[in-house]
Amino acid sequence: MIETQNLSRRYGDFTAVNGISFSVGDGEIVGMLGPNGAGKTTTLRMITGFLPPTSGRVTVAGKDLFESPREARRQVGYLPENVALYTEMRVREYLGYRARLEGLAGSEAKEAIGVALDRCLLTDVRNQIIGTLSKGYRQRVGLATAILHKPKVLVLDEPTVGLDPKQIIAIRELIRQLGRERTLLLSTHILPEVELLCDRVIIIDHGRIVAEGTPQSLRESWMGTPGVRVTIKDDPTGAGDSLAQVPGVMGVRPGPGAGMWVLDCEGGADPREEVFRTAVQQGWTLIELTRERGATLEDIFVRLTTNDAALAEASSTAAAASPAAPAGNQEVAS
Amino acid sequence: MSAVWATYSRELRAYFFSPLAYVVLFFFLVVNGIIFLNLISFLNDPRAAGGPPMGFFFNASWLMLIILGPVLTMRLVSEELRSGSIEVLMTAPVTEGQVVAGKYLASLTFYMFLWLPTLAYAGMIASYEDVDWGPVMAGYLGVFLVGALFLAIGLFASSMTRSQLVAAMMTAALLFLLFLVGLFEELVNNEVIKQALGYLNIWSHINELAKGIVDTRRIVYYVSATLFFLFLATRALEDKKWR
Repeated sequence: MIETQNLSRRYGDFTAVNGISFSVGDGEIVGMLGPNGAGKTTTLRMITGFLPPTSGRVTVAGKDLFESPREARRQVGYLPENVALYTEMRVREYLGYRARLEGLAGSEAKEAIGVALDRCLLTDVRNQIIGTLSKGYRQRVGLATAILHKPKVLVLDEPTVGLDPKQIIAIRELIRQLGRERTLLLSTHILPEVELLCDRVIIIDHGRIVAEGTPQSLRESWMGTPGVRVTIKDDPTGAGDSLAQVPGVMGVRPGPGAGMWVLDCEGGADPREEVFRTAVQQGWTLIELTRERGATLEDIFVRLTTNDAALAEASSTAAAASPAAPAGNQEVAS
Repeated sequence: MSAVWATYSRELRAYFFSPLAYVVLFFFLVVNGIIFLNLISFLNDPRAAGGPPMGFFFNASWLMLIILGPVLTMRLVSEELRSGSIEVLMTAPVTEGQVVAGKYLASLTFYMFLWLPTLAYAGMIASYEDVDWGPVMAGYLGVFLVGALFLAIGLFASSMTRSQLVAAMMTAALLFLLFLVGLFEELVNNEVIKQALGYLNIWSHINELAKGIVDTRRIVYYVSATLFFLFLATRALEDKKWR
């Protein structure tokens, strides 16, 4: 549905986006993740036709954005990062204006406005002046504008930024519903959002794609198998050596407290059962036996974007794009 | 076409929904009223050389356009650039030309609306003496042509910057320059330059038209200059993308 080839964009000497190629399939929900200034907004602006790329191509629903910009734009609904609306208009009037701008008229426009108001739960405020609406409602008006002309593709730039938690939940629910019927590309730097909403993630940093895949596959290829935490009462001597003998355990490190150990595990292994048997054999009293929290996207994100910044400075090669060796030795965060 | 209409109607609404429009309308009428009042009392003096009141009126009143031009146009594009609404506007299936056309026609409509109440002056005069309607109509044509050019210049300036203040100052400077260049006609001795400046002298154009002399060269000049600045405005808007 969306196809980008080697997309680049420079602002003067600064390269905001540097050779990004990806595609989004029909009906997919793809999240674009990256720290501030990574090039997310620039990429989305090129896909919506607001910014022409310095080089590369964008195709939306089979239409090249450069060759047939108007046909391509017709297929895209866009919610920019800052939803700027004409504050002096009423919601209904604003949607009417947008409908005319999209070339809808008469009963077709009326029906489209009704659907958009309904889907975005704006029917109650349809006669209100936009300037008097809260940020959450304005975001919904922005979304209503984006879906008004029934586009095949929806592009949302940080749709929940600046909203309160309750509004965030409501907008996410709305996005999830909208994503069922169309192709959706959204950018965010809120990681749980991606896990909640997206089928696939593209991580961008310094204008390049540094990783791509489902949240699950990213987790596996980047963070390895989670470790196991064991606490044994009275801290018996030789416990560390005994634990190292347990099948599936690669390494043993002392934990932060007395009798506490952290086991690094082989790929895919879960040695908890074996640890329990060993404890019974040795006559230990087990107080704790927990599998550490698996890698979250947050961990991956922080690793990728911090490592990459250092790497990019050290050498200009895109070596960071290959998965690192499994490193399951992360501590449980808070 | 529907894109031009959509932009036009929304822009025209924006004029009437902003307090600025009413402030402008108010002062425009106050100043025009003062001009008209003084004009009539002056012409009532038996020692005064007579003449068509509306002709004198246009000659003085058009000067306000140097202030009116920036005020009416500064918001048009700058506001969209500043707030960021340009982003949703330009990602709709519209062209820069359509947006410029819609916004320009809205400002022109509002401008014509401002002049509407001054028809009452002509009506008042008509109730006391015979009015030669030809020169009056030509006078209105004059302020229409000059206004059309000034608004195009203002729209161009507004497309250049996200600051309304900068847009207004740029417009005022350009309009004042255009006004001055024409006045230099009187100061230059060189015949060729004098003639060239004469083509740019707005004041004499207004004067000429208010007398009822409709010269096609003037119409061609104003229409083509207007179109030129609208073209520049379109290019300025397109250029915004590339930086």
